[in-house]
Amino acid sequence: MRHRWLPFCVAAGVMLWSWSLPSSTAQAPAGAGQPAAQGGRGGDQGGGRAGRGGRGGRAAQPATPSKPTPRWPDGRVNLSQAPGVKGFWNAMSGSPIGPNGLPGNLTLDQVPFQDWARELYAYRQSRGGLDDPHARCQPAGGMRFFTVPNGMEFIDQPELQRIFIIAGENRDWRRIAMEPGRKHPPEDLLIPSYFGDSIGWWEGDTLVVDTVGYNEKFWFIRGGLPHTRFMHLVERFTRTDFDTLRYEVTIDDRGAYTRPWSGGWNIRWQYTNYDASSGGEIHEYFCLDNERDAVEFAGK
Amino acid sequence: MTRLMLTICAAIVLLTAGAVSAHHSFAAEYDSTKPVNVTGAVTKIEWNNPHVYFYIDVRDEKTAKVTNWAFEMGAPAVIARNGWTRTTMKIGDLVIVTGSQAKSGKPHGNARTVTMASTGKRLGAGSSEGQPPADQ
Repeated sequence: MRHRWLPFCVAAGVMLWSWSLPSSTAQAPAGAGQPAAQGGRGGDQGGGRAGRGGRGGRAAQPATPSKPTPRWPDGRVNLSQAPGVKGFWNAMSGSPIGPNGLPGNLTLDQVPFQDWARELYAYRQSRGGLDDPHARCQPAGGMRFFTVPNGMEFIDQPELQRIFIIAGENRDWRRIAMEPGRKHPPEDLLIPSYFGDSIGWWEGDTLVVDTVGYNEKFWFIRGGLPHTRFMHLVERFTRTDFDTLRYEVTIDDRGAYTRPWSGGWNIRWQYTNYDASSGGEIHEYFCLDNERDAVEFAGK
Repeated sequence: MTRLMLTICAAIVLLTAGAVSAHHSFAAEYDSTKPVNVTGAVTKIEWNNPHVYFYIDVRDEKTAKVTNWAFEMGAPAVIARNGWTRTTMKIGDLVIVTGSQAKSGKPHGNARTVTMASTGKRLGAGSSEGQPPADQ
């Protein structure tokens, strides 16, 4: 009874977030171990040079047209720095629902919540983020890794059949196994974690990453969309031009949603340091360094 | 009644979604209906992530009581974009701070702007509530 009005919050969110119907392109993987393919997909997004003082998210609009997508000498797409051009990816924000993402993102009322998950989400919203583990400096698990500031880089090591994604945020990193035919460990051997077990492969110019084995100790996106240990993410990374990394994700979680659903956002290339000085290098950010908020939260 | 609820909920959604660069939402800790505008001398500065904190002694002119207020700003790299450096504010500097008080009611706030009393220079404090209009 105390929260009978909470469903109205969902309605309010829907009214505030006016966006269009989904056009999700992320799909569940047909299988791992596909060979790297060449050529093909050109940029279909406008460039977004995050220049001096610019923010890496949607607000960073192009000052000049973006350069073409960079490639390695063997033709594969280069998701990292190119020779002579420093910088890093910086999303600053992003959401798989609503206007803070791709045009085809679902509206809140289109998200196929299970009833308990819808209620929990409304409750989390009503608390204004007070219960967010990330506000207590817990890792930005799952796709949230790609929404926090402080920058990230792809470290592509094809000779070792792996890709690392390193972040300034708490110096977190993800490891993507690129070995052909690689499978996830059996469920009873998976240790639930913030970033899960990831295997990847290339589909044309798109890096596809399949991840399972998440714990339930984080909110996978700001705002608190619920998930369970059954969450399975399929992420698709497409560098549509030099300055734009299109991030698409399919959330398959039979514990919290009635069917898989998809969304995404664009991540922009930042040429400066995070503080807008020249350099283009990610920096150190440890949330626990001077964390004072948890005491205030506990005092509520 | 429903309209009132929707208005409240809309505010919740906006507050939750708006503060995208802080590690916590503004609404989780601070109350935008409790504005703060105080003047005091800086007693301590913590130039760290996830937030720069500074402390000032604020004197109540009526009671002469001095209260030490703590203020949160954005991360060092965030407020650097507003012109801050580690030496912009020093111990003993007199500053005028606007912002919002913590929901706890303690002498603790989220700084929105900081004005150096000696020069009149005003800098945005990287508030998770949003950036103030630039005037520097």
